Amino acid sequence: MTEHKILMKICDLSVTYTTRLGQVSAVDKVSFDIYKGEILGLVGESGCGKSTMGKALMRMIQPPGQITGGQIIFNGEDIMTYNENQMRDFRGRKVSMIFQDPMTSLNPVQRVDEHIVEAIQVHEPKTKVDEALERAGTLVRKLGIQKRRMNSYPHQLSGGMRQRVMVGLGLVLNADLIVADEATTSLDVIVEAKLADQLRDIRDEFGVSLLVITHNIALVAELSDRVAVMYAGHLVEIGNVEPIFDNPLHPYTKGLLRSIPNIKLNENEDLYKMAGEPPNLTHPPSGCRFHPRCPNAMPICQKYEPELVEISSGRLVKCWLYLDHPEKEQDTIEVPA
Amino acid sequence: MKDNGHKNSENQNEYLVEIKDLRKWFPVPTTFIGQIFNQEREYVRAVDGVSFNIRRGEVLGLAGESGSGKTTIGRVSIGLEEKTEGEVHFDGIDLSKLPSEDLRKLRRRMQVIFQDPLASLNPRMSLGDAIRQGLEIHYPETADQHRDIVIEIMEKVGLTPARFYYNKFPHQISGGQRQRVVIARALVTNPDLVLADEPIAMADVSVRALLLDLMVKIKDELNLTYLFITHDLATAKYICDRIAILYLGKIVEMGDLREVYGHPLHPYTNALLAAVPVPDPHERRKEPMPKGEIPNPIHPPSGCRFHPRCPYAKDICSEEEPILRELRPGHVVACHFAEMFLDKKLS
Amino acid sequence: MKNMKNTEESIPTSEEAPQWLLDLDKVGFVRKLFLARKWYGGDWWFVAISGVLLIFIIIVGIFPQWFAPYDPRAEVGPSLLEPGEPPASFKLITRAEQGDIEFRDIANRGNNVGFIIGSDASQAFREAVDLLNETAPEGVRYQPRQQRYENLSEGFDSLAAGEIDGFIASPDELGDTLADYPELQDVGTLREEGERGFILGTNQIGQDVFSRIIWGTRIALIVGLSSAIVSLLIGVPLGLISGFTGGPFDRILTLIMDSLYSFPGLILAISIAAVLGAGIGNIIVAIAVLYIPTYFRIVRGQTLSVKEELFVEAARSLGTPKLKILAKYILPNVIPSVVIIFSVNVGDAILTEAGLSFLGFGLPPDTPDWGIDLARGQDYVRRAWWLITYPGLMVTLVTLSFSMLGESLSEILNPRLTEQ
Repeated sequence: MTEHKILMKICDLSVTYTTRLGQVSAVDKVSFDIYKGEILGLVGESGCGKSTMGKALMRMIQPPGQITGGQIIFNGEDIMTYNENQMRDFRGRKVSMIFQDPMTSLNPVQRVDEHIVEAIQVHEPKTKVDEALERAGTLVRKLGIQKRRMNSYPHQLSGGMRQRVMVGLGLVLNADLIVADEATTSLDVIVEAKLADQLRDIRDEFGVSLLVITHNIALVAELSDRVAVMYAGHLVEIGNVEPIFDNPLHPYTKGLLRSIPNIKLNENEDLYKMAGEPPNLTHPPSGCRFHPRCPNAMPICQKYEPELVEISSGRLVKCWLYLDHPEKEQDTIEVPA
Repeated sequence: MKDNGHKNSENQNEYLVEIKDLRKWFPVPTTFIGQIFNQEREYVRAVDGVSFNIRRGEVLGLAGESGSGKTTIGRVSIGLEEKTEGEVHFDGIDLSKLPSEDLRKLRRRMQVIFQDPLASLNPRMSLGDAIRQGLEIHYPETADQHRDIVIEIMEKVGLTPARFYYNKFPHQISGGQRQRVVIARALVTNPDLVLADEPIAMADVSVRALLLDLMVKIKDELNLTYLFITHDLATAKYICDRIAILYLGKIVEMGDLREVYGHPLHPYTNALLAAVPVPDPHERRKEPMPKGEIPNPIHPPSGCRFHPRCPYAKDICSEEEPILRELRPGHVVACHFAEMFLDKKLS
Repeated sequence: MKNMKNTEESIPTSEEAPQWLLDLDKVGFVRKLFLARKWYGGDWWFVAISGVLLIFIIIVGIFPQWFAPYDPRAEVGPSLLEPGEPPASFKLITRAEQGDIEFRDIANRGNNVGFIIGSDASQAFREAVDLLNETAPEGVRYQPRQQRYENLSEGFDSLAAGEIDGFIASPDELGDTLADYPELQDVGTLREEGERGFILGTNQIGQDVFSRIIWGTRIALIVGLSSAIVSLLIGVPLGLISGFTGGPFDRILTLIMDSLYSFPGLILAISIAAVLGAGIGNIIVAIAVLYIPTYFRIVRGQTLSVKEELFVEAARSLGTPKLKILAKYILPNVIPSVVIIFSVNVGDAILTEAGLSFLGFGLPPDTPDWGIDLARGQDYVRRAWWLITYPGLMVTLVTLSFSMLGESLSEILNPRLTEQ
């Protein structure tokens, strides 16, 4: 396995929301790396904190939420220490985001070319308009948007087109990382497939890293190099996509993968039904947050929270099944490297 | 549960629902200027000539992307929307000829499970009350038994302890539980047909399997027939007996689900099946996707609606609209060149 | 058959209700009210304060006799007494030759007693006579005649000349003048200086301002609440039906309501009151008409939007008859806004009522009513500021309380706020 360069390092990141019912620990001391040029899929159900994570990476958490701890190190610098100007430069030029609903993230009174030119000029003020337009044109063609669409307004474009414009906005500034937060969720299946192809092509051509945040696990299998699984604000498992799907280690990952419908006949004909529902994060379960629903739960799981540990090459799991502890009575499962 | 008699009698039709040449066109609002210049009226042709039947006890899936017309067909089938043309028969009854009061009473036998459970529940009505409505409306004479029936059905759908949830309100429970309430509400009148409009699309991934399982179990127990509308072909595999693939207001292929999935005969079906991501990184899609996008339903393409995007299109495809033909037993397809796909398995 | 195997026989259940949810249910309603304080912050305090204030005001309105020390229509003291100022004492002046007499002796039918025009001596006189009559034996009645004089000298001259039998004046009025009239004598005080004054003073007729505004609360509340209730009972159903059915009926009704609504409120109320004539019932009607369009518009607007909600369509798909949809699905979702309008409405109605009676419409002239008092006190702004200050304060306070309640309730009753 070739050594990957780390583009972004997230260390012990925590995000808390203050609500009427108390503090919600939406992201709790999550750590992982994003490598250069990789497609990392971040999956989980609603409320697991994946979208919060995506926004936190760009420090776009608004009150009543806030980042309450941790570091985000990008190219050696901790962006948590950036001031407002540095953040503005960071957002757009280094990291860019695509949202679920492109209609609300595009300015309805700006045409496509105006969008792209504005993005360029905001971050590279010295660029002349014609130069910006030319860059926009090249990019747009690469994304499969016809030239004549450059003059359209967002409402004149289809959902898939709008998403591509969003991707274009991210690329035009040569961002190093594009965060796609449920970017395909509102799209039709064929459009989604085409966008996924496009994202892969962009990564291949430009070397851009992609963080694909989605609850669509099949999409992640289709698209990503590595997969990170989140549950109730914790990162419970992360590793390369094939080993994770072939041999999921964390009980939640196992259950999740077995509960996903598979369109292929004679594959997964019996869907696994996971007991219970995702927990309420104002009163999260003690110890390991998954223990109330876990078929492998041990007494220790309720008492102590396991750490996210690399237990085999490139694979990190946060589960007592694979870790030692003095109070643990059961055997620890060994995983071959 | 009450009144099962009519379901088992011999003089029923084989088909619970019969749809013939259904068209539903929505008029596009005209502008003032347009009216001055006597512009021709334009219509969104949401459903443009659809025919199918639903057998008692089966689950028929209507699958398609946006603009396919699947939701509209569902709504017209149970009389929530009026047809523009065609025939809609429920258990032999022509819905368009029914006076509105009779149609209202007939609703007891046709119920709906909507996509968004939070939006489809009255925020000011307790769960028990909401489920009870069907009984109050259609069986007012047995009012003293209503509460017990509701408790029973709440337990059946897994809302236990039922007495605890009876007085709760929609915002106090989770999404998965809400969908159970919606299901319970639909079942309480002992219907024949249940229209399920993307019933699990908004539920959490880990809860969907539970809900699907619930729906299947209940269908068997209560002798229900489902019209299952979905854009998620993978989910459809687990509940639908037969499936109809819709494109831009027309059925392009229909048949037994495992038939259609195993031997797709229409290029669109094939593309659709290939587009659905498989949760297995070793089975990544290799096929390219059709070019272009779904056209505007106000001006559908001539001939076969899929022809502008179809990799196999020939001249005839833009001139003549293909009709549904049975190429394999119980398996119909609307494509001029479907035969060429008969022997090769495209997927 | 689909291939869905189950490990259990029964249909899978959702988990038992989470403990924290059960706990939340255990607390009673009262505790929930207090817990709400944390949730709603400032609004909770507003509601609490205005609620307490309004309960107090309503109690005053229902039982004014507990709070008002005097009958509001009775002349209980000298006129235009400042707040807290005790009423002056009055002395009886007679001719020296009459000897050592008491007031009783010159209080018969044939007697004449004099005092200065406009002086509060008239009140002291009346009080003294009343007192005599109260303690008099059967058949005996005291009813002396009153004579008014421009000033003290004229009165004294008349007394000295024997035209009147006695003269009543306060020490201030007397001054040193008595020294100039050796034939006249001071036989003592007719009425002692009062120990206490009236808390808020007296008006020009001698009525206790405090008692009047206490009793005025009752009228204000009656008119305010009744007109608000009438408006509600007419406006809400009309709004519901209009919004729900639509069509030409809706169009016409909206037109009528919009025209009514665009009329300046007070002028419309005046016109209606003028047409209907005097009387508390007519005032209520006039003010009620004023607010019907408000209820109508809000309810109609809400009905139009709720009508499109998915749960209404779900109700239709159940086979729910139209009337039931209105009553069980639309109305309960519209009520929160109605409650809010109602409380603001009552406050506004009270204000309008005060305005109407200020202008002289509707209520009989001596009714203890804030508007009437305001009208009567207009001319005395500089001399007796308390005549308009206190009624004005009451109107403001009550109107504000209702409005405060309404506005802060709007945040709390908003159905989008959930427990999760």
